[in-house]
Amino acid sequence: MKPGDITGQRKGLLSAGASLLWRRQEILWWVFAVNVVLGALGTLGAARTLNAALGYRLAGDQLLKGFNLGMFYELLRLPAADFLQSRFTAYACACLFALFVLFVSGGILEAFRQDRRLNTGDFFAASGAFFWRFVRLMLLSLTPFIFLWSLHAQVSRLSEYVGDRAAADQVGFCIKFAGAIILAGLALLLRLWFDLAKVRAVAQNQRSMWRNMWESCALTWRNVGTLFWMYFRISLVAAIPLLIGFLIWTALPPTAIPAMFILLEFIILSQLAARLWQLASATAWYKRHAEAVAFATPQPEEMIEAIETLVVPEPDLPPLNEPETPPAEA
Amino acid sequence: MQRHRALFVFAVGLLCCAFAIAQSPFAPKVSGPLSQRVVAYQIDAKYDPAKHTVDATETLTYRNLTGQPLDRFPFHLYLNAFQPKSTWVREAHRDGYFRTSSLDEWEPKDNGSNEITSFEVAGMGDLTRQMKFISPDDANPDDKTVFEVRLPRPVQPGQDVQFKIKFKATFPEVIARTGYKRTFLLAGQWFPKIGVRWHDQWNCHQFHAMTEFFADFGTYDVKITLPKNYVVGATGVQTSDSDNLNGTKTVAYHAEDVHDFAWTADPNFKVAEGQFDGSVGKVKIRLLTYDSHKSSRQRYLDVIWGTMEKFDQWYGPYPYAQLTVVDPPHGAGEAGGMEYPTFITGGTSWYVPKGDLHEPEGVTEHEFGHQYWYGMVATNEFENAWLDEGINSYTEVKVMDSLFGRNTSSLNLLGIQEGDGESLRSFYLGYSDLDPLARASYTDMSMGSYGAVSYGKTATMLATLEAIVGEQALRKALHVYFLRYRFTHPTQEDFMHTVNEVTGQDLNWYWDQAVYGTPVLDYEVARADSNPTNWYEENATEKKGETTYETQVILHRKGDFVFPVEAEVKFDNGENIRERWDGKDHWVRYVYHKKAKVVSVEIDPDHKVTMDSNYLNNSRTTERQKGATEKIAAYWMFLTQFLAQMLSWLV
Repeated sequence: MKPGDITGQRKGLLSAGASLLWRRQEILWWVFAVNVVLGALGTLGAARTLNAALGYRLAGDQLLKGFNLGMFYELLRLPAADFLQSRFTAYACACLFALFVLFVSGGILEAFRQDRRLNTGDFFAASGAFFWRFVRLMLLSLTPFIFLWSLHAQVSRLSEYVGDRAAADQVGFCIKFAGAIILAGLALLLRLWFDLAKVRAVAQNQRSMWRNMWESCALTWRNVGTLFWMYFRISLVAAIPLLIGFLIWTALPPTAIPAMFILLEFIILSQLAARLWQLASATAWYKRHAEAVAFATPQPEEMIEAIETLVVPEPDLPPLNEPETPPAEA
Repeated sequence: MQRHRALFVFAVGLLCCAFAIAQSPFAPKVSGPLSQRVVAYQIDAKYDPAKHTVDATETLTYRNLTGQPLDRFPFHLYLNAFQPKSTWVREAHRDGYFRTSSLDEWEPKDNGSNEITSFEVAGMGDLTRQMKFISPDDANPDDKTVFEVRLPRPVQPGQDVQFKIKFKATFPEVIARTGYKRTFLLAGQWFPKIGVRWHDQWNCHQFHAMTEFFADFGTYDVKITLPKNYVVGATGVQTSDSDNLNGTKTVAYHAEDVHDFAWTADPNFKVAEGQFDGSVGKVKIRLLTYDSHKSSRQRYLDVIWGTMEKFDQWYGPYPYAQLTVVDPPHGAGEAGGMEYPTFITGGTSWYVPKGDLHEPEGVTEHEFGHQYWYGMVATNEFENAWLDEGINSYTEVKVMDSLFGRNTSSLNLLGIQEGDGESLRSFYLGYSDLDPLARASYTDMSMGSYGAVSYGKTATMLATLEAIVGEQALRKALHVYFLRYRFTHPTQEDFMHTVNEVTGQDLNWYWDQAVYGTPVLDYEVARADSNPTNWYEENATEKKGETTYETQVILHRKGDFVFPVEAEVKFDNGENIRERWDGKDHWVRYVYHKKAKVVSVEIDPDHKVTMDSNYLNNSRTTERQKGATEKIAAYWMFLTQFLAQMLSWLV
């Protein structure tokens, strides 16, 4: 393998990401625990309402032994059953979780980067150090995500326009479906781009998120095949437990509530694991990429110094360097 | 010689009869007219697919059977409803939608019209200038859906009058059961149609968004000229199909004892046929569908067959030789789910899951049911929509339940179930106290209220009536009602009197509330508990099977609707007691002294009183029921967690 030829290292990326996550699995469990707690908090209001409506009634039988849609409507229509209020609580908890993930992203990526168990102080120090940077990055990511959303609206309009004029029923659907696949791919690419920006920000302690975003964009673009394939495969793997979970769910007896609960939580855990796996793989890739670049292009002394003087939340390992010159040109 | 001549005459007569039987598609079914044929329409129509227009000449022979001289004749021009200032559009725009269409914007393709170019009356000359648009319902000067003509001299009782009308019909892009979509055309309410002389006055309402139609029975002979490659379906039976020199063809249809004529055409139609062996003969089922709906073909035929069988058994025979079922193309949902005599439209799509979602079956069943209540009984849909849509919705529930099961007749997918009756009940409950059934449909509060009352409330009200008279008695009443009033135009009072008569009960107390009024039916179990009778004793201990308890049960009528209900009281020793309460007072108390505690109390334990607006308060248990709460809470939590993950993915 030539120095800087990272394509030859593709093979181990997924397993490197997976083993990194396995070693740092405490992160997964903590994030899952917070997800469960917020999920439970978001359900409390609804559970109280449900209990008031069904707690001492026989009507619930039709929802327990099967799922009678008519009875469910009945429940939703109850003026006393304020599901609207409960829905807002659930939304609020979901938003809180997103905020939590945004907050701990710095800590998670730092733990992945150092590949060691950070103590609570180090973890939250890293989280705090990168929080506002990641908020800026998230705000910057809104533009391409909103653009993607507007593309989605355009695809819908196009599918309606063409579908309405085509004699065959499926034309509109096919356009919509193909559009959705392409847009999902683009969304994955966007996610990848901004994940890499986060990884870079942590690895290099980048402060300017604007510059970091564009540099990450260039980096993603140069390695788009490797990186997209990596994220895509993890997404595919994540779909497997979702599918299996769905199939098991259809086979479960309607009254097997504990089994159903465990199954649903397993699905949630698997999706969370897949997301962290993506981040771990991105970190692993970046490490290899940076090491390959460093091997190919020795870092100028002054740059190292400059980086070392930056405030980094107690990293044990020096930040990784990434020269602007592509390795092939070195 | 005399004998030979008689034999010869008999043989010739027999041959003539045989010939006539072979020629007439109705011959095996009936002997003589089924209805009092007031009208005879002969229409010669030429369809221009590029412009979506029909140029036609119509000869209408009207027989004055009213017993009074008539000199004023009103006509419907239904297609004029599709103009922005019409009453129909005003009403639909007021509510913001019509079925699947949004009425927020108006485009040229939405325009439809009936333009009369010439109006002659045989023996009285050209009366085109005598035509005058009228708006009997709302005095809207811009509504042109009804016009009337005053003749120079009256038509005497028993006499015929012949109108010769030349007109041009311009179809809108499909809306409200008529119009085109790409190459498809559904020509519904497309020709000038005379009003009904009913109860000594003309009944010819404007076209409203919340009503359908009303017309006299008669015969129709319609010729349609259109490009050769078009496949055509229509009311009645096809009598000829001849090619013309200019690349067109002319198909002719004949229909008897019907009160409307609709047709459809599309070069992309594929024809599938079936047959039903009814109690009065064979009925040909002709399905016009598309390649992309191949998976639904058998579903259509199966549900039509099953429905025809149930109607034949329960209510009476289908006397026509043919039924045409149209499966509209995608994007033409407004053409779907509609009934015309011997001609119905269904609705499906290529992705409808097989067997579990019974939407295509439900729609098709419903539209076939109209052949009885709208087609043959033919009540006034402008004024009493419930007599058609509602009774038909009730019979739809009965048929769908018998075909697909009571709890799964609407949906049975991934453990989620819904019966057809439940979905109609849900429809009703959204508008339970707004409009009485007896109100003229076009004066209902909104489209939602009209639908909920006409379809949902009637179906729910008749299902609840079963709790009093029994399912079989109500079925018999409907059977008698159908046989007695088919091919007439009965009123709502005729229907209610028939049910009273057949069931042998005076149900006016029920009709007063359910048909003429808007009270809401709601009962609850207000109290159910047991306390030891020796509560005052110091150191008293409770022992199962030994301690005597006083059990208090209070039932409460929360709504205004008074209805007798049953309640089942269950005790922990396995004993069940059924109480029957007339519901006249606002509450009732039941007290029991037993060596057992109450476990549960349930009003309407057999779930017959479907008009009850709140099932959740119909029962009370002494032990907490956790299962349903835990199940829904688990789903709720999962969805919250999943949403949380999705949001976190974005950051």
